[in-house]
Amino acid sequence: MAHHNLHTVVRFEFLRTLKKKSFWVSTLIVPVVVGIVFGLVSFSGNSASKSVSAQENAAVTFSYLDESGLISDKLGQDSGGTPVTDRQVAIDAVRAGASEAFIYVPQSPARTAIQVYGKDLGLFESAKYSAVATRMIAVAVKDKVNSPELTALAAGKVSFTQTMFKDGKVSGGIFAVIPPLLFLGLFYLVILFLGNQILNSTVEEKENRVTEMILTTLNPTTLIIGKILAILATGAVQMLTVGVPAAVGFVLLRGHAGIPDISLAALVPEPSAMIVGALLLTGGFILFSAALVAIGSVMPTAKDANGMFGTIVIMMFVPLYAVPLILSDPGSRVVQIFTYFPFSAPVTAMLRNGLGSLSGIEATIVITELFILGAAAIAVAVKLFRHGSIQYTSKVRLRTALSRR
Amino acid sequence: MTITPQHGPAISVSGFRMNFGNRTVIEDLTFDVQRGETFGFLGSNGSGKTTTLRALLGIYRATSGTLHVDGKPFTPENGGKLGYLPEERGLYKKEPVLDVMVYFGQLKGLSRQAARVWSLAYLERVELADKSGTRLDRLSGGQQQKIQLGVTIMSDPELLILDEPTKGFDPVNRRLLMDIIDEQKAGGATIVMVTHQMEEVERLCDRVLLLKDGKAEAYGTVSEVQARYGTRTATVVFTGTLPEDPSYAVLQFRHGDARSESGADLALTEDADGAELLRHLIGRGLQVSSFTTSRTSLEDIFLRIYGAGSQTLEGAL
Repeated sequence: MAHHNLHTVVRFEFLRTLKKKSFWVSTLIVPVVVGIVFGLVSFSGNSASKSVSAQENAAVTFSYLDESGLISDKLGQDSGGTPVTDRQVAIDAVRAGASEAFIYVPQSPARTAIQVYGKDLGLFESAKYSAVATRMIAVAVKDKVNSPELTALAAGKVSFTQTMFKDGKVSGGIFAVIPPLLFLGLFYLVILFLGNQILNSTVEEKENRVTEMILTTLNPTTLIIGKILAILATGAVQMLTVGVPAAVGFVLLRGHAGIPDISLAALVPEPSAMIVGALLLTGGFILFSAALVAIGSVMPTAKDANGMFGTIVIMMFVPLYAVPLILSDPGSRVVQIFTYFPFSAPVTAMLRNGLGSLSGIEATIVITELFILGAAAIAVAVKLFRHGSIQYTSKVRLRTALSRR
Repeated sequence: MTITPQHGPAISVSGFRMNFGNRTVIEDLTFDVQRGETFGFLGSNGSGKTTTLRALLGIYRATSGTLHVDGKPFTPENGGKLGYLPEERGLYKKEPVLDVMVYFGQLKGLSRQAARVWSLAYLERVELADKSGTRLDRLSGGQQQKIQLGVTIMSDPELLILDEPTKGFDPVNRRLLMDIIDEQKAGGATIVMVTHQMEEVERLCDRVLLLKDGKAEAYGTVSEVQARYGTRTATVVFTGTLPEDPSYAVLQFRHGDARSESGADLALTEDADGAELLRHLIGRGLQVSSFTTSRTSLEDIFLRIYGAGSQTLEGAL
C-alpha cells in the first residue's frame, strides 16, 4: 500500500507540474534567452574582432622620435611616420591639431614607457595609435633578432605538455578534476532551481487546507518523499530541456563563437572520486531538501517560507569564500569546520573531492554524517509537517511541535 | 489492507485527556461507537469535538487515554476504510476536479480506472459532470463541498466521520447530503457526525454524546438524553374532574365552561406510560376527547445545556 501510494503521489505531483504552462515557460525561457544572448555576443564579437583587425592595419599619419635606435627610417616611413627631432614641438603640433599623432620611443623601451600623443577619436578608435606603435616596435625587434622562432619565444608563445604522477600512476591533472566537480555544479543547480519548489511543496497542503484529508489517508513520510522525488523528476525534465540543446550546440559549435574547444574525450573520470562525488551529492540533497520541507511545514504561507530560502542559499555559498584556503591548506581548522558542519559539508567536501584533497576517511565520515543527518532531518520534517501543517494560520513553535507526535 | 475485525466497537475512547500547554481541553472522556450505528457528537463551538476527532485519527497525540479505531490506534495503514470530512475543508484548488478525485481514490486503494469511473458517476449524480475538467477554485463554495463529500465517501467507507457536514450547504444540497448519509447508513457504515443541526441528529442518530467544557455532559440514545434532560408532557382535553395521580404533575390547567371543554398540560414522570395514563383517566370517569404526549426537543435540551456558562475553548487549539 505504501509503495502504491508513493507511486501515486509521485505520479500526481509530477504530472500536475508538467501540465502547468508556467513550468514550460520558466523552463524554456532559459535556453531561449541564453541562445539569444549567445547569438548577440557572437555577432558583436565578430564585429569587434574585425574592428580591431582594421585598426591594426589602419594607415595613420604620424610623427615620431626614436631615441632607442630600433626603428629604421624605412620602417618609420613604411608605417606612415615622419621623423622629428624636437619632442615638445611635435607634442604641441598634435595639441594644436596640426599633426594627427606623435610617437615617442625612449632610449630603453623595455624599461620606460613608449609615449603616444594623438587626436582624440574616441576610446576605441584612438587605440589605433598604440596599435601602430606596437606593430612598429614588433617589426623592429624581429628585424634586429633576425629569427622568427626566437621572436615568437621572446613573445611567450610557448606550448608544452605536462605529465603528473599520483600513487605511481599518471594522474589526469585538470582533466581528472573536472568530472567530480560536475557533482558540485549539479548540487548547486538542483538546490537553486528546485529548492523553492521543495520549500513550497508542503506549504501548499497547508494553504489548501488539505492536510487533514492527507494525514488520514496517507503516511506523511510517503507524501514528503513522494513530493521530493516528483520534484527531482521535474528537475530532470528541466535539465534535459536545457541540457540537450546545450550539448548539441557545444558539439556543433565547439571552437567557434567563443565556445572553448575542450574535447570531452580528454576528461578522466576517476571511479573513486566519482563514487564519492555521487554519494556527497545524494547525501547533501537529502539533508537540504529535508531542511527545506521542515521550514515549509512551520511557515503559514509560501511568502513566509520563501524568506527562509535565502538563508539556505547563503549556507551553500559560504564555503566558496574559503576556496583559496581549501586549495592551499585543506588541513586548516577553517576548512575542517566547513568540511564537517552539516550545511557547508556537501559543498566543501565536493570541492575537496574534486581537487583531490579529501581523504578516504574524511569522505566516509562526511558521507555517513550527511546520510544520518538527512534521515534525521526527514524524520523532523515529517513531525513538523504532522503538527505544523494543521496550524493553518500561525507559525509553529518548534518546541511545541517536536514534543508532539 | 488490514482485515477489519467484526467484533467490538468501531470506535473506543477511554480516559481521553488533551492538554494544550497548561490548558485542559478534554478531560477524562470515555465513549464508544458501535458498528453500524450513527453517532452524534455534539457540543458548542470550542467544546473539544474536533480535537477529539483529530486525536482519534492520530493527527493529535492524546495527553493520556486510549483512542482506538477497530481495536487499535488509527494510522492510515491500519485504518481500514475511513471516510473523513474534516471541519477545515480543502483540496488541491488549482487542479482539475477529476484529477483530484482520482488521486484520492487511488490513495484510498482504488485502481486508477475504478477511481475514474466512480468519480464520473458521482459527478453525474451531483450534477457536476460538466465540471470534471474544471479547476476546483473555479467552482462555487457549494460545488467544492460536493467534491469534498465525494472524496470522503469514495471506496465505500466502513467508518464515516463527518465534522459539520452541512456547513456551507444550501437546503437543496443539504437534502442531497442527507440522502447520501442515509445510503451509507443503509449500506452498513458506521457514521460519526459532528453537527449543530439538532433535527438531523434526531432523525439520523442512534446515540449521541454531548460534550461540554471537555467533559461528556450526556451520552446515550436520543431518547435517553431526552429523558434525562427534557420532560415528557401530555396534553389532555376533557370533561369532568381531573384526578390527582403520582404519574404526573399539572403544568397548566384551563377550566371549561358551557361552550368548551377543560384542558391541561401534564408533566409526566419518567416511568409513566402514556397509554396506561389515558386508560387510568378514562377509568376515573373522565370524558377525554383528546390526548397527546410529546418530548422536549433535542434543540431545546442543547440550548438548556449550553445556553449559559459554557466555557469557550476556541483559540486554545
